[in-house]
Amino acid sequence: MSVELDVFVGNTTIMDKEVYQLWLNGYTVNDAVKFRIEGGVMEECEASAEVLLSDTMDQYRTFQMCERLLHHPAKLANQLLFQIPPDRQAMLIERYYAFDDSFVREVLGKKLSKGTKKDLDDVSLKTGITLKSCRRQFDNFKRVFKVVEELKGPLVENIRQHFLLPDQLAGDYAAIVFFANNRFETGKKKLLYLTFQDFAFCAGQLINNWTVGAVDNMMEDMDVDLDKEFLQDLKDLKILITDKDLLDQHKSLVCTALRGKTNVFNEMEANFKNLSRGLVNIAAKLINAKDVRDFFIDIVEKFIEPCRSDKWTSIDVNLYLTHYTNSVHILDTFKYHAVWTRYMGVIKSCILRMYHD
Amino acid sequence: MECVPPCSDRPGFGEETPGVPLSSGPPTPLRAQTFSSFSPSKSYSRQSSSSDTELSLTPKTGMGSGGSAGKEAGPLKVFLRQQTQSALEQRGVSSSSEAFVRTGEYPFFTLTAFPPGFLLHVGGVVSARSVKLLDRIHNPDEPETRDAWWEEIRQEIKSHAKALGCHAVVGYSESTSICEEVCILSASGTAAILSSRFMQDGPLDVEHRFEEVVSPGCGFCHIPYDELNIPFPAQLTYCYCCRRYKVPDVLFTTIDLPTEANVTGKGCLIQARLCRTKKKAQGEGNATAISNLLPFLEYELHTQLMNKLKLRGMNALFGLRIQISVGETMLLGLASATGVYLTALPSPGGIQITGKTPSDITYEQHISNMQKKINDTITKNKELYEINPPEVVEEIIGSPIPEPRQRSRLFRSHSESSDEVSELDLSHGKKDAFVLEIDDTDAVEDIHALLTDFSIPAGFYSCNTEIMPGIQNWTSAIQMFTSVRVFRLNTNLTNQGLNKIFSDLCENLLKSLYFKLRSMVPCCLCHLNFTVAIPEDELIQVAVTAVAMSFDKEQTLENGKQSGEKTLIKAITDEQLQFSLELNAETSSPNPLSSPKGLSDVGSHPSARASSVDYSSFADRCSSWIEQLKLKAHTIRRGSVKTTSSMEKASPLPEGRSRSLRSNRSYSGSSVAVVKMTPLSFIPGAKIIKYLGIINMFFIRETTSLREEGGVSGFLHTFIAEVFAMVRAHVAALGGNAVVSYSMKECVFMENPNKNQAQCLINVSGDAVIFVRESELELTSVQPQSATTQTSNGGEGT
Repeated sequence: MSVELDVFVGNTTIMDKEVYQLWLNGYTVNDAVKFRIEGGVMEECEASAEVLLSDTMDQYRTFQMCERLLHHPAKLANQLLFQIPPDRQAMLIERYYAFDDSFVREVLGKKLSKGTKKDLDDVSLKTGITLKSCRRQFDNFKRVFKVVEELKGPLVENIRQHFLLPDQLAGDYAAIVFFANNRFETGKKKLLYLTFQDFAFCAGQLINNWTVGAVDNMMEDMDVDLDKEFLQDLKDLKILITDKDLLDQHKSLVCTALRGKTNVFNEMEANFKNLSRGLVNIAAKLINAKDVRDFFIDIVEKFIEPCRSDKWTSIDVNLYLTHYTNSVHILDTFKYHAVWTRYMGVIKSCILRMYHD
Repeated sequence: MECVPPCSDRPGFGEETPGVPLSSGPPTPLRAQTFSSFSPSKSYSRQSSSSDTELSLTPKTGMGSGGSAGKEAGPLKVFLRQQTQSALEQRGVSSSSEAFVRTGEYPFFTLTAFPPGFLLHVGGVVSARSVKLLDRIHNPDEPETRDAWWEEIRQEIKSHAKALGCHAVVGYSESTSICEEVCILSASGTAAILSSRFMQDGPLDVEHRFEEVVSPGCGFCHIPYDELNIPFPAQLTYCYCCRRYKVPDVLFTTIDLPTEANVTGKGCLIQARLCRTKKKAQGEGNATAISNLLPFLEYELHTQLMNKLKLRGMNALFGLRIQISVGETMLLGLASATGVYLTALPSPGGIQITGKTPSDITYEQHISNMQKKINDTITKNKELYEINPPEVVEEIIGSPIPEPRQRSRLFRSHSESSDEVSELDLSHGKKDAFVLEIDDTDAVEDIHALLTDFSIPAGFYSCNTEIMPGIQNWTSAIQMFTSVRVFRLNTNLTNQGLNKIFSDLCENLLKSLYFKLRSMVPCCLCHLNFTVAIPEDELIQVAVTAVAMSFDKEQTLENGKQSGEKTLIKAITDEQLQFSLELNAETSSPNPLSSPKGLSDVGSHPSARASSVDYSSFADRCSSWIEQLKLKAHTIRRGSVKTTSSMEKASPLPEGRSRSLRSNRSYSGSSVAVVKMTPLSFIPGAKIIKYLGIINMFFIRETTSLREEGGVSGFLHTFIAEVFAMVRAHVAALGGNAVVSYSMKECVFMENPNKNQAQCLINVSGDAVIFVRESELELTSVQPQSATTQTSNGGEGT
């Protein structure tokens, strides 16, 4: 004896947020029922396990039917099959495209290819996120990537329009797309202390300042690639370390400004040339795609780690970078002020974000 | 398969009569599927009992058994019509029914809601069933044989109604259940006496003898039959409202609760479910077996209904619908109704259990435990449904009931043995106790089932009628839904086992519905329409379509009631107005402005009528159309159809506005218009401003990749969702924003999992409408005068 068929269809499609989340998390119907029972919905509504099972199966079916629509969120608003109120639609989309920070850290900067997808089992094991959920998140990244890759105009805006995502989430996806496109290395041991939000912040800085779209909205180029011209110009900054006079002058300007304002002044003075070389070298190398990938690891190795070993506080770092950046403009022989500002603005905010006390 | 009765819409009844005062208009939208006043074209006149007709017809159709089981409700007792028939015939019925008899009229109304005062008296449920063999039809393509079958059944219904002293049947419906070559034809309705005021075309100049009785709220409860010759054993008391007329102790009807009815507390859905095994058989043997089972099935369904009604402390059932489905090895019976406490009827006594073997002490203990449980349940239910009628001292003194003995009726699960015990007098106090005797295991089971009927979760109400008495302040949140379940049975089940399974299936389905809709609390599931079928030998299919409507608990009931009524009246006037717009389109006169056509022309215009009769749900608007025409004919003696064109201008929603409405809708970001659906005839908090026509669609879907589509559930889920989508799209294409009176008439599902195949046929229907929220409407400042001015202007133009 068994229930052979059991369906419920409402004119307005009924979707339970809780069950939706369980479905998104990739749980099986039976697991979902267990979670719901533990959640106490039974006592609340005088239901039985049987009722819960029936409801859960029904909801799962509905979500499965909706899933193909969620792949193209704009279609959700224009389809006829399910009558879903707009606020519900927004919820469905937002949650469908939501991702786990621990998962995204695993694939951030990796090529969104079949090969990476095959490795998701390991990611699933490592993060404790179900494989189903990993696949959904990965496919979401890939789908967004594919759509905006060829689009012109601001990246975040494109994502928001095509996937009807809220600003925050659209920004995160922009970061993911940007990282995947430039293949930034994020998985090295030294970088593991950084959260996805740290990277997303940095991505935002890079997108807003270092891409073609950042300087010229009219340009028929995309936000996903760094401004090649700018990268080329960055080579000119090398003069700051290759010219001995300039370097000394720079150092004395910075040290004068910093003296007495920090506890780690001596370390700053001692390390100035090293740090400066590090930052300028990063800039000079960015023209090579391979070095772009190592951008974050370079920042950590060349700047953050030395500072941290000298026990600088974030305030110290901020102070140092402010004076380091501004002093350059007082140098007589230095001509590349615009490039310097554009470069250091991003570097400074990235370092400050990445510098965890 | 539903057999639609040949709908001979005959002129001369209830239409186009000048001089009918209808200024107020009916307060509720008249609803039902078809308006068919049954009047055979053969114009035979019925003089004698119909019981002989069926006897004479049976051999003609080559039937082994004409197993039709007649049954009356009201104070339901197994009613031997034949015995009382003659008495009634001799006594003669009321003058008004005589009028109907003279003209050969027994109007059958499939409507279930009527204007107040239309129903003078309600006698009770009348029903008839007949088992037929389909392979005995000589010309299966010709309707003659089938017509004859239905005629026979209608005859029986009529005679039942007559036996109850009634001249009309309201809330009438017919249905069939077919398995192989055997077919059960069923018809049921509610015997009633209608107000002659509403039917002036008959020779009804004679004052109706009940005319003065019409007292709002209890009039329809007063018995229509002669109390001295009660056609069945019943306990009558004086009406608890007016104290002047007699009322029965319980009342079963197939109609919606009349709007004027006085009800104490709230109502609830009451279901009786029954499964009976049957031996596999062929042809006549099978038909005989089914015929023999039917009376018991019906009797038990009734017993269950009665017990459950008493358990809830209620005394009347509305919207009663009994479905009997036949399969190869079983018969399935499902009776659904909405129980209420009619203030006019006496308070139901409790239920008393007695054991058959009082010697055993443990057994006695068991019985008394059960008795306590029952009493507790009744008390709990009375609280739950807010049933606290004012205590009235029963006045038996001077009661002309011929047998004033405090009757003790005995209802047991098995009627076969009920005659053994009839002399128990267990009535305690003045209340008439309802005795349940348990003597065998299955009776214990039954009582157990009775008690374990799960209680409805807090915040929920349910009914199978349009609206729930006691709830008026609906919010605009509605959720229409369809749920289908198919259950596979094991072989070799006993009757008890089957019963339990079937009952659990229905209960679980209801529980699931409550759970699904928990976010809408407080809410009421209205128009809960269960359909059962036996698609295959070991399968039971239950389909439910209903609407969940939220209501506002805060608002006081008084206010809610008033505003609710106002709404309904508003809606109806508009309905008429909107309807005439359609009329305009339909008559399609080449030059509408100078059309010389008078009302009578329209009335008798065959093409115009035929086209409207074709649409079954169209017909329920016909009545309001007719009312409208009557009104017009009364006020202005020309009633040219073309006035409708001017009324269009006067429509409260001018063209520009409706366009702006639509653009507003699309502004919300999506290009898909929201279409509401409801099985009810109205949308709470909204006014229907235009009827756009009937939606009646058949869909057949087949799959050869069942597994890939998520199995049977996935297949049907998608299909039903698509059916909804197509209905909505149709309505939206017509410019509408809602479907009312929606129903899923057919859902035939077949599967062959081994072949990875499934098929499904669905038939749905409803009326496409445009509605406007009342709040929005107030903003547009409608001027009701403009409509009338426009109309009369049009009149002068003629």
